[in-house]
Amino acid sequence: MIQFAIPRALRPSFAAAHASRRTARSAAVRGGRPTIGLLVATLVLAACAGAPATPIPTTAPTATAQVTAPPATSTPAPAFPVTITDDEGTIVTIPRRPISVVSLTPAATETLFAIGAASQVTGKVEDITPYPPEADGLPIVATYKGTEIEKIVALNADLVIAGGLGFTPPSAVAQLRSLGIPVIVLYAASVNEALAGIEAIGTATGNADAAVALSRAVRGEMDRLAGLTAGLAKPRTFYEIDATSDIYTVPAGSLYEELLTMAGADPITTDVSYQISLETLITLDPEVILLGDGGYTTMADVRARPNWSGIRAVMEGKIYPVNDTLITRPGPRLADGLRALISVLHPEVRL
Amino acid sequence: MPAAVGALAPRRSSGFRTAFARRPIVVGALGLALLVFITILGIAAGTVVIAPGDTVAILAHRLLGLDVAQSWTSAAETIVVDLRLPRVLTAAVVGAGLAVAGAAFQGLLRNPLADPYVLGTASGAALGAAIAVIIPVRALFLQFGLLHALAFLGALSAVFVVYRLSRLGSRAPMTSLLLTGYAVSSLLAAGLAMAMYLSGAGLRQIFAYLLGGFEASSWGRVAVAAPLIVLASAVIFLRARSLNGMLLGEEAAAHLGVDVRRERAVLLAVASLATAAAVAVSGLIGFVGLVAPHVVRLIVGPNARLVLPLAALLGASLMVGADLVARLLGEIPVGVVTAVVGAPFFLALLRRAQTGYEL
Repeated sequence: MIQFAIPRALRPSFAAAHASRRTARSAAVRGGRPTIGLLVATLVLAACAGAPATPIPTTAPTATAQVTAPPATSTPAPAFPVTITDDEGTIVTIPRRPISVVSLTPAATETLFAIGAASQVTGKVEDITPYPPEADGLPIVATYKGTEIEKIVALNADLVIAGGLGFTPPSAVAQLRSLGIPVIVLYAASVNEALAGIEAIGTATGNADAAVALSRAVRGEMDRLAGLTAGLAKPRTFYEIDATSDIYTVPAGSLYEELLTMAGADPITTDVSYQISLETLITLDPEVILLGDGGYTTMADVRARPNWSGIRAVMEGKIYPVNDTLITRPGPRLADGLRALISVLHPEVRL
Repeated sequence: MPAAVGALAPRRSSGFRTAFARRPIVVGALGLALLVFITILGIAAGTVVIAPGDTVAILAHRLLGLDVAQSWTSAAETIVVDLRLPRVLTAAVVGAGLAVAGAAFQGLLRNPLADPYVLGTASGAALGAAIAVIIPVRALFLQFGLLHALAFLGALSAVFVVYRLSRLGSRAPMTSLLLTGYAVSSLLAAGLAMAMYLSGAGLRQIFAYLLGGFEASSWGRVAVAAPLIVLASAVIFLRARSLNGMLLGEEAAAHLGVDVRRERAVLLAVASLATAAAVAVSGLIGFVGLVAPHVVRLIVGPNARLVLPLAALLGASLMVGADLVARLLGEIPVGVVTAVVGAPFFLALLRRAQTGYEL
């Protein structure tokens, strides 16, 4: 979900939106760790917003359709109204099978198209790495600047799927609900939560069977892939989210950490602030550096950074760009993300 | 907007002020016309195109109860009645409230740089809002969240603290009030910086509040905020005579029979109430509260009886206009628009006022 239409500089703050709810809450109470640098990032957001997303080179196999949902025709007429408890604990009732669904997260857009709900979707959030191509023509009703309620109303939306922990502004969620539009708010800090989100979208849109089949297929494929790396040596891995000014990496208890672990890495993690000091990083001395920011950072950039040259991964040249959209989007392509990670971390494994 | 107000302040400035000062009714009528015009524009324009005819028909149908044949979609009706109308009304009420509060603070403190936020309301509200974002509670009451409640309380508490602290053994209460306000604001700003530092993913929400905006307006919020602001403004209108007296200095005001201490306390309290209600619904929007009273004084002179209602009209127009511009430019923060439009406009007016300008 992090890979919305968000300027790269802002990503860590949105990444933070996907720390587990528990972690985020407790950290908020005792006051997590610094992210004030993001204020500056927010200020420059306008400057970055127009920058097109550079395609990120990926070493992943190109087959992205290994996980396919059964055709929607296999879904029997579900019993509406349905009642769903969303990830914020809000109980949402959807009176009829929705015919105008607005997706406010890229992951939800992918999920809707993967479960055969394409004909029900009428609007989506802006997505800098749009997927699937069939969703390209949909009107965009939200950007990093905010959610355009008027457009959603004009689409006669009868279901809105929003992102949690501030990804969709809470005021927009409240406003949509006050207009009588059902809104389910989803976020995922683990593979299980991501798959539960897929199933929730299925139930909410009347495509429950296809969604369950999809989530099982993804789970099965991921378990199979994780099994392939189970006995292998686990290189200490630094996953770079951004290091333009401060250094951001994956927090403990996040979807990132789970995927890296499944891929056979020993990820260096931090807290919900996503920030890590260079001192800590040098001390932990990663064997592999994965560039989640590979769209704008190259191995040469990393080598040129002052004080990075003594890090083992830098000395040995084990610096690889990865497609972070696949890894961070809690949608139907998670298994592809895992496959991409394994192909970088353990190229010897036959996938 | 500059063109519209330019009509009120013709280029030949010599004598325009006295000419208009003698015709407050004319200025008032022009101000009202401006507000109505901008309000209609504000309702007619938005990200979704709705035919002007449909907009008028929907308004006539829903507000005036006219029996109009329905030619519009129910989505259009929702957009006009439940999204744009409360939004424009909120902007108008907030703009008017800030302008009246600004005029009151400028008069009370006899300081042309005073604005509604000068005594700590802004930093108090901002800190309250930031704390609300950090506290993970998502309850909504009357469509108000914890953020609005704490922003409101923060603004009022800040002013209360400033007022109490400034009274400790001071001989020049107004100067003391200003300086105390400055000191307390600085302290609260430090608290805000700390809260933002600790807010993690909530930073964007805090930032959005600091920039201000009306995109989350709703009838429920108008119903709570508008009466507060209107009531507070009415109390200030009724004390125009005291404000006029205080412009002459506290001693002179006392000689004119104004109970200076009491009037000062009442005016500070209600002006702060109006400001707190405004910042709670819309966030921190600068410049309108500073500029609107000055523009009106440049046109009609310093008489508070005229300045207060006209500043309300102009403040409302400015805010609705600024919100309209913000919307048309793709939901940019209203505070940016008010500053970009307000600051140069204000400078130009000051330059034109060759006669010298005092409060």
